[in-house]
Amino acid sequence: MKPGRYMGQSVPRLEDAKLLTGRALFVDDVQLPGMLHAAFLRSDDAHGILRSIDASAARERAGVVAVYTAQDLGDYWRPGPLLVPPPPITGLVFNAATQVPLARDKVRHGGEALAMVVAESRYIAEDALEDIVVELEPLAAVTDLEAALRPGASLVHEQFGTNLAAHVHQSKGDYAGARAAAALVVARRFRYDRGASAAIENRGIVAEWDARAEQLTVWDTTQAPIPIRNGLAAMLGLGESQVRVIAPFIGGGFGPKIMMFYPEEVLLPWAAMRLGRPLKWIEDRRENFYATTQERLQIHDAELAVAQDGRILGVKDTFLHDTGAYDPYGLTVPINSQCTLLGPYVVPNYDSEFTAVFTNTPIVTPVRGAGRQHGVFVMERLLDFAARELGIDRVEIRRRNLIPPDAFPYDHEILFQDFRPLVYDSGNYPAALHKAVEMIGYEAFIRSEQPRLRRAGRRAGIGVVSYIEGTGIGPYEGARVTVEPSGLVRVATGVGTQGQGHFTTFAQLVAEQLGVEVDRVRVVTGDTREFHWGTGTFASRGAVVAGNACHAAALKVRDKIIALAARLLEAEPGQVVVEGGSACVRGAPDRSFTLGELARRANPLRGAVTPGTEPGLEATAYFGPDRGNAASGVHAMIVEVDPDTAAVEIKRYVVVHDCGVVINPVVVEAQVQGGVAHGIGNAFYEQLIFDDNGQLMNASFMDYLLPTALDVPTVEMAHLETPSPLNPLGTKGVGEAGAIPTGALFAQAVEDALSGTGVEITEIPLSPNRLFELITQAKGAAA
Amino acid sequence: MIVEGTYTFPGPREVVFRLLLDPDVLAKTMPGATSIARVNEDRYEGKMGVGIGPITAAEFDVVITMTEKVVPESYQMQIDGRGRFGFTRGKASVRLTADGESTVMHYEADMMVGGKIAAVGQRLLDSVSRMMLKQGLEAMSAELDRRLGKEPA
Repeated sequence: MKPGRYMGQSVPRLEDAKLLTGRALFVDDVQLPGMLHAAFLRSDDAHGILRSIDASAARERAGVVAVYTAQDLGDYWRPGPLLVPPPPITGLVFNAATQVPLARDKVRHGGEALAMVVAESRYIAEDALEDIVVELEPLAAVTDLEAALRPGASLVHEQFGTNLAAHVHQSKGDYAGARAAAALVVARRFRYDRGASAAIENRGIVAEWDARAEQLTVWDTTQAPIPIRNGLAAMLGLGESQVRVIAPFIGGGFGPKIMMFYPEEVLLPWAAMRLGRPLKWIEDRRENFYATTQERLQIHDAELAVAQDGRILGVKDTFLHDTGAYDPYGLTVPINSQCTLLGPYVVPNYDSEFTAVFTNTPIVTPVRGAGRQHGVFVMERLLDFAARELGIDRVEIRRRNLIPPDAFPYDHEILFQDFRPLVYDSGNYPAALHKAVEMIGYEAFIRSEQPRLRRAGRRAGIGVVSYIEGTGIGPYEGARVTVEPSGLVRVATGVGTQGQGHFTTFAQLVAEQLGVEVDRVRVVTGDTREFHWGTGTFASRGAVVAGNACHAAALKVRDKIIALAARLLEAEPGQVVVEGGSACVRGAPDRSFTLGELARRANPLRGAVTPGTEPGLEATAYFGPDRGNAASGVHAMIVEVDPDTAAVEIKRYVVVHDCGVVINPVVVEAQVQGGVAHGIGNAFYEQLIFDDNGQLMNASFMDYLLPTALDVPTVEMAHLETPSPLNPLGTKGVGEAGAIPTGALFAQAVEDALSGTGVEITEIPLSPNRLFELITQAKGAAA
Repeated sequence: MIVEGTYTFPGPREVVFRLLLDPDVLAKTMPGATSIARVNEDRYEGKMGVGIGPITAAEFDVVITMTEKVVPESYQMQIDGRGRFGFTRGKASVRLTADGESTVMHYEADMMVGGKIAAVGQRLLDSVSRMMLKQGLEAMSAELDRRLGKEPA
């Protein structure tokens, strides 16, 4: 797709006026007459047998309408769906244990919901939580991945007789042979710890049952309104058309909001129907630290076998993945880690094995990056260590191993998270590396700037890392495009929106084909009454899957416009030009109809039409890619580290990314900038710390550090566009890109700044505190 | 959380031992204690209010069970505190040794803290518990002085 009038242009975001003036509807803005409020009693213990819950005093409290425990749910109590079944990999072991609406016999993580109180106000509901008496027999908690797998460990799910949630082995080639032939083998243990997604808007749900219309309406901060609708209909015994789920504006999704069904999503609609009154629950920040899913503890024991010239001969990686107390999202995260490790490199021999482990901690599901961080971190760090030992420049060792531009499609010979072979569709990795190195001024920094600063007693370092992001996976999305008699164009699609700029990018795609001003295109997302086929917003797939559906629907409408205009104007279809909000005959601008007039003519009130005619200028189209595509990029940064305080200042941050054809550069840049902010938090600030009893010790923003505007630099960016051959627009995803390589980059740059001190970084997050410890340890070892 | 240390009371061991087990003294001297009752020989029940960082008035129902009591030398305590803001539970042991006119108390406790107080009060848990312990022991020492004034050794 070539740049056009709108395609590839930085059209200002159409949704921003609403957002900036406070007119955008968020779930908490929904206020309904007679609305009740829910609050949840959550377990203080991470692991224990639930002996009894006595809610009688809470039910007596004035203003309390109902209290529900697992016992009160009857047949409605059932574990949630397994969202992603395990892929067909030989020898795979998977123990499925999905979350429950309210704990019934056992508590498996701190913050697990035990009871729901419904009251006239949230205030009363919260007070009533205190009236509930819980008798719980504490069990030893498991939080350490290795200890969890030892015989005799306390079991999160007794039925499996083990805390092993999954075991998967994928390999290609002959790693043992590669190792035997290697000039050097570098082996390390890597640890990548857990953080919160920390969206500005916590989760929230409002449910309303209209008994006369027999219609359930649910406002939900979900990334997957259509599957939520379908699931609720099934659970509640309603027809799908009786349930309308609206995911209005959402203040950040980042993955945890694609998780379903959260207990609150199951319980609020059910209770609203039983009570006959609308019901609201808005998650508070502390609840969010327990009740919303998280990522990403993994421990990798990895080794890289290289030839003398730095060429990769093979990689072996064995890792543990923390899945938390339940594993509803299957193996998406660890399989992403397994696949993403290969990066943009030729790795002839690969042996990768992982064990997913149940622990007494909140549930792990994808959070922006979704396991890709770990793979990039392990591979990039191993390359750094190999480069150092072989005396090869860090950029050079990468250059020598990149998949060449003429090698596509490139088959990695293992299976990706979409169950399709991991085949990269297109890319130009050497060009991206070259561009990033040039932008950051790598050579000049290494040769003159760094030594000059070092002489002045300052420690500055540089990092350059590459990554691949598998994006744009199926199964499909759809869109409906309608030209209204006013000339306005409506677009409806099923994906929800959490700030990505869908209202603008989808409008651009449609405006491009229909020849209207972009602000004449109104996009509706995330309302099942408007469009009810689709899966959701995840895996950096909106612009690829929904974008191509919008494009396809717009093309169909364009064909209808041309056919109708040609008939009315008595011209050949090939002579009709669609532009400026009209269709006219080429060379005869006075022989024209506005699109609004054509829409009216396409929907006549009287008279006869040709048999087979469809009314209106409207079309629906779907797009499902054969498999995911491979976006890629290179991140580079310069940091300065104060070796006394371990303070790190990011001096410059460069991103060269390739997400195929860019629909809107500013939107893409914002995604990358936001991702980098997320990545910096993940690399240096954000870490959820659990004690041995499974108690989360920093469940507030006083103790859980988020990067601030002062910590996040403005990213200098360059776009490379290698179109994807897997979809007509040639787009690839970019939603997670910024967050993926940041940990690896941070480690390399900081280590470079501290070169000579003996500090080696094999773990992320590196809090300021932890970096200080590493510096102190290295000093001790040197002394 | 492990709390351990020693404290010297200016009085004889028998008096100190009695003092430490006297519910009225405990109620008076334990910071935040609003009531403490001895429901039987070895079981105390009470209420305590604690302020930790952003949690300003966490009220706990506390049950203390004494075991392995050797008058006037030592005892063990099983402590179980629960409240809206979380829980604390664990074991403590107290040993008294005579040191001339004084008594040295050796204490050691291994407490688990959970729920909101652990989640948002973590940074302050150590210092708050140390401070409460210090206040409690000093108040107890003052009470001992008063008693000894009434009943000289």
